[in-house]
Amino acid sequence: MQKLNEIPDKNPFKVPENYFEDVNKKIISVTSGYDQKIKKIGLYNRVKPYLLIAASVTGFIILSYTAVNLLIPNRLTSQVSEAISDDYPETYINDIDIFTLEENVASMVPSEEGSEANKKDIIDYLLLENIEISDIYEQL
Amino acid sequence: MTAIKPDDNISELLKTDLNKGFRLVVEKYSSRLYWHIRRLVILHEDADDALQNTFINAWRSMGEFRNESSLYTWLYTIATNEALSLINKRKRNAAVSIDNLGEIFANSLEGNTWFDGDEAQLKLQNAILHLPDKQRIVFNLKYFDEMTYEEMSKVLKTSEGALKASYHHAVKKIERMLG
Repeated sequence: MQKLNEIPDKNPFKVPENYFEDVNKKIISVTSGYDQKIKKIGLYNRVKPYLLIAASVTGFIILSYTAVNLLIPNRLTSQVSEAISDDYPETYINDIDIFTLEENVASMVPSEEGSEANKKDIIDYLLLENIEISDIYEQL
Repeated sequence: MTAIKPDDNISELLKTDLNKGFRLVVEKYSSRLYWHIRRLVILHEDADDALQNTFINAWRSMGEFRNESSLYTWLYTIATNEALSLINKRKRNAAVSIDNLGEIFANSLEGNTWFDGDEAQLKLQNAILHLPDKQRIVFNLKYFDEMTYEEMSKVLKTSEGALKASYHHAVKKIERMLG
C-alpha cells in the first residue's frame, strides 16, 4: 500500500501569471463598491434603549400609584374600625408600661376630694389585670 | 506550507483604518485562501469566483468581526462556506448523484490547463476527490494547510476529537485508494 508521505509535497495546481496581484486589485476595487452590513446608528436608535427604560419606569410608577390609591383607603378604614372596637382598651392597657399607666391615672383624677375613692377603683382594676400588688403600691 | 500566525497588527489597523487594514488582509490571505478553495472546487474559474465572494462577504461583515476568533480562522470559515456553496450549486445543476461528483471532478483534472501534477499527485487528488465533502475539507486543512485541530475546530465548528477521527478515516481511505 502506498503511503501518503511517499508522494512529493508539491502543489499540482497552477494559476494564470500574475493572478494574485490582479485578483487582489480586483477584490479591493469590487469591495469598495459594497456597503458594509454595519448601519450608521441614528439618533432614534441610539436613544431607543433609554426611551424603553424610561417608559418602563413610568409605567411602573403609574401602576404602583394606582395600586396604592386603590388599596390604602381600605387599609386605613379597617385600621380605624379596629381602633374603635371594644377590644381597643384591653389591647392598649396590655401593651403599655406601668409608668405610662400611672401618669394617665394621675391625670384622670379630677380633684383632691375624690382621690382616695378613685385610687381604690384604680387599684382594684389593676389587680384584676394581674399586676403585682407590690408594683402598684410602690407606684402609688 | 506553514501555518499563518494570527496578526494582531492587522486587527488593530482594521479598527483605526478599515480600508488600509482590509487591503493588508487581502494581500496577506488571498493566496492561502485561494489554494484552500481551489483544492475543494478544483477548477480555477470556480476558485476565482469563490475567492472574490469570500472577500466581499468578509468586507461586508468586517464590522461584525470582534476578534473573538482570529482573523485567520474567520476568513477560512467564510472561504469554506463559499466553496461548499459552490459545490452544492454544481451538484444541483449537474443533476448527478453526490457519489458521482468526485468522479466528474477527478476527470476534469486530466488535461486541465491549470493542473500540473505528476501521476502520483493525480492519483492523490483523485483519491481526495472521492472522499465525502467534510472529510475532504478536514484532510486538506490538515495535510496541505497544516492547520492545527484547534484552529480547524474554530473554522468548522466541530470538536477536535471528531476532526481527528475524520482525518484518520480520510488517510486510511486515501491510502487504500492509492493501492
